[in-house]
Amino acid sequence: MLRLLIGAVLAAVMAVPAAAEGEFAEGSQVTGWKNLAGRENALFKAKVVDVLCELTGECAEKCGAGNRHMGLVREADGKLILAAKNSQASFNGATVDLAPYCGQNVTVDGLLVGDPAVAPTKVYQVFAVQREGSDKWAKTKRWTRTWKRNNPEADGKKGPWFRHDPAVAAEIGRRGWLGLGAEADKTFIEEFY
Amino acid sequence: MRTLFTAAAMVLGVFGTALATEGERVQVKGEIIDTWCYFSGVMGAPESVVGSAHHTCALWCAAGGIPVGVLAEDGTVYMVLKWEGDGDVAGNTLLSVQSDVIEADGILHKRDGINYLIVEEVVANNGITNLTHEDFGVVPGFAIPKSVTGE
Repeated sequence: MLRLLIGAVLAAVMAVPAAAEGEFAEGSQVTGWKNLAGRENALFKAKVVDVLCELTGECAEKCGAGNRHMGLVREADGKLILAAKNSQASFNGATVDLAPYCGQNVTVDGLLVGDPAVAPTKVYQVFAVQREGSDKWAKTKRWTRTWKRNNPEADGKKGPWFRHDPAVAAEIGRRGWLGLGAEADKTFIEEFY
Repeated sequence: MRTLFTAAAMVLGVFGTALATEGERVQVKGEIIDTWCYFSGVMGAPESVVGSAHHTCALWCAAGGIPVGVLAEDGTVYMVLKWEGDGDVAGNTLLSVQSDVIEADGILHKRDGINYLIVEEVVANNGITNLTHEDFGVVPGFAIPKSVTGE
């Protein structure tokens, strides 16, 4: 399974070299994920914010500590960039990786992503964060480590986290793989496989 | 120009939530989607990463903390920041409504090209009506493990 996942991601990464030179591309070290729609390297200084807090003034301690969506208010133009993804290749967002920097000024390296035909503006995949005044970069790969800590009963089982996550498993148990119930799954599997 | 923006950003930084706004009351009808796969194209075309075909992957992405959106019939995507009083929406909060078509009352905040939605009340949930598995199977193809499909 992990091989399949890695294979799918590698195929995606290797598929179509479509790197765009964006306004903030200078100095960016990100080289992978080349088939993403509208892919554009972006290295910039920003303030890390909890988006709900930034927009409404309804704030939480530590920006929600990984449970709220995070944004980056870019120093150069004041734009709020939504951080949608971290660097990991197993369905992980950016919240856990950015929450420790809540309210801090950082430099981030990553990709702006999104096809203008589908998305009105691009979202950000953050690969690395550097605290202001530090010369060290932190890669954004905290998510799975945090998941293991929060799910000790599931950790250690064969396969990636999403095959063993208790909440995901409960939902699949409730509505099935297609979300349409057990009968729909049974019919689909008989006809498709 | 960039210097001007930088100066403005510094002023706003000092005052923190200076850009916080009242928002606009809206009624939204649309499908709950996984926004990363929809925007990035990493798993395929937009029409293949919605509905029943992508339901399992949408569960994974939502649980992983990727923003969940509401895709309206006109193609507008609303990023969900709060759900019926709960601001902790990055994680398991929205698993039970993934891929459903819902109707909601809420508050819309627009900022720098993105629509952010505070869902105050879900007034209707029509369940999963977008039967994309009939055209695409499951996306990604490994969504249902071999131990289940018998492959």
